[in-house]
Amino acid sequence: MTSRLFWIAVALAVWAVLPFVVPRNIADLLVFTGIYSIAGLGIGLLLGHCGIVNLAQATFYGLGAYASAYCTVMMGLPSAVGFVAGAVISMALAYVIGRPILRLTGYFLALGTLALSAIASALFFEWDWLTGGTLGIGGIPKLDLFGFVLDRPSRYYFFVWIVAFACMAVARNLVDSRTGLMLRAMRDSSTAAASLSIDLQGLRTRVFVVCALFGSLAGSLFAHHASFVSTQSFTVDRSISFLLIPVIGGATSIPGIVAGAVFVTFLPEFLSKLGDIHQILFGLALVAVVVMLPDGLMGAVGRIRAWHVARRGSDAG
Amino acid sequence: MPADAILSLNEIGHRFGGLNVLRSVTFDVPEGGIVGLIGPNGSGKTTLFNIVSGYIRPLMGTVAYRGVPLLRDSIQKRGLAGLVRTFQTPQVFEQMTVFENVMVGCAKLTRTTMLQDLLRTPAARGQMRDIRELAEAACERFHLKGLRDLPAASLTAGQRRILEIARAVVGKPRLLLLDEPSSGLNAQEIENLRDWIVRLNAEGITILLVSHDMGLMTVAHTVHTLYFGEIVASGDMATIQRDPRVREVYLGV
Repeated sequence: MTSRLFWIAVALAVWAVLPFVVPRNIADLLVFTGIYSIAGLGIGLLLGHCGIVNLAQATFYGLGAYASAYCTVMMGLPSAVGFVAGAVISMALAYVIGRPILRLTGYFLALGTLALSAIASALFFEWDWLTGGTLGIGGIPKLDLFGFVLDRPSRYYFFVWIVAFACMAVARNLVDSRTGLMLRAMRDSSTAAASLSIDLQGLRTRVFVVCALFGSLAGSLFAHHASFVSTQSFTVDRSISFLLIPVIGGATSIPGIVAGAVFVTFLPEFLSKLGDIHQILFGLALVAVVVMLPDGLMGAVGRIRAWHVARRGSDAG
Repeated sequence: MPADAILSLNEIGHRFGGLNVLRSVTFDVPEGGIVGLIGPNGSGKTTLFNIVSGYIRPLMGTVAYRGVPLLRDSIQKRGLAGLVRTFQTPQVFEQMTVFENVMVGCAKLTRTTMLQDLLRTPAARGQMRDIRELAEAACERFHLKGLRDLPAASLTAGQRRILEIARAVVGKPRLLLLDEPSSGLNAQEIENLRDWIVRLNAEGITILLVSHDMGLMTVAHTVHTLYFGEIVASGDMATIQRDPRVREVYLGV
């Protein structure tokens, strides 16, 4: 227990010092890691606890971003209004769309969510009166906390990560609760879960709504960080890279989500220094992780730890 | 329908494709009784079970549960009303521990909203505590203590069967539907299962038992024999065993 506390303290210390010691572009990537962790957290809940592949997260990410952009730039409203508007619209859409499509299972459901992302991406492009189309909406103000402007990556970093930690705490609560219990039961055997009076459809829809809330929150945070939003940020590609976060990191583990977010933000950036082949290298790295670590990076950490404990046990015996 | 029937099936008919799997099946399950359903493979026993528990909507006939029509209710609603089933192949939650499996059975006894669970309010925590206590007691009672923290995937067929029954019973059912509970069990385990059925029934749980195990069937007060979707004989086990049609179905004489 003390060693656990020790490591938490070390991690917190590293977290607090990090934005001041790294170059600005790395600090910027760390902000994105926090934003992507929030978006990935929702997908992780669906994937790890409901067995649902959600390829629509860029939709809710986009809704959050456009709501923040539109409310602050076009309407001159406080940024909090944008956050709330994005969250409400995303959750309402997730509920309305989720009810019918979450009747599907497996590949069909994954395709359904992919279709949602494709439609949303097309609408973001077409509805240029609202979204600015490819030109986007620029000049989104930096967040201002009681007069303290979060205008540098090192400042915004703390804000984003505190929001991310709060989302992680909420996700953890859900997993540990009665709802979490029912979710895992449903994932293992929906037939038996139904016989024990678990409302499969309702439960799936509600988790989908929570996932959309996280997506929208991440989108709003992104808009205030980038100051500019356009359709390119909310394509199906983005949905896929969001899905990769829990797949790579480990869907049931919160540190896994962060590890996955680090992977999808940092790796392409570093590989891009290698020139034209960077996308191929990223693809190879992805395949390597998925093939060699089927339960994600955190699953591998768990196995190494189990092996270590077993070895220590046999040494003692 | 007699006043004390917990379940009444009336003229149930169903077909898959062109095959009539059930033809005007009518019988009552008296409150507090043990009713058995026997019949060879393919006689329609499991289809009938799926109809009662809500997995299939029959093409004809009606089912009443405690005097109220049942067929329009969802599986979940039937469960909340106290009608719980087990499955021919035990359906345990494999990646969850034995204890968690039992906890899932308790989940329907409490109500929290998702928001309460997300924010971990005192009410949500209190309900989780209640669920844990109930599950703890059930593990003790069904002698699952030693297996408590094992993943359900590692259990033997007999242990899975008991776990499935424990998980169903912890939710306080009124009518327990047991689908082939003795399949895959050894003689000792079947004996154990028999004891449980008698004990649970003595506590007031009505039981509808589907099996082709004639030995286990002796616990039933009334037995109905299904043959190609029709009830061909009804009565207590001794009567059934003497019935020439049942002898023909089972023994070919």
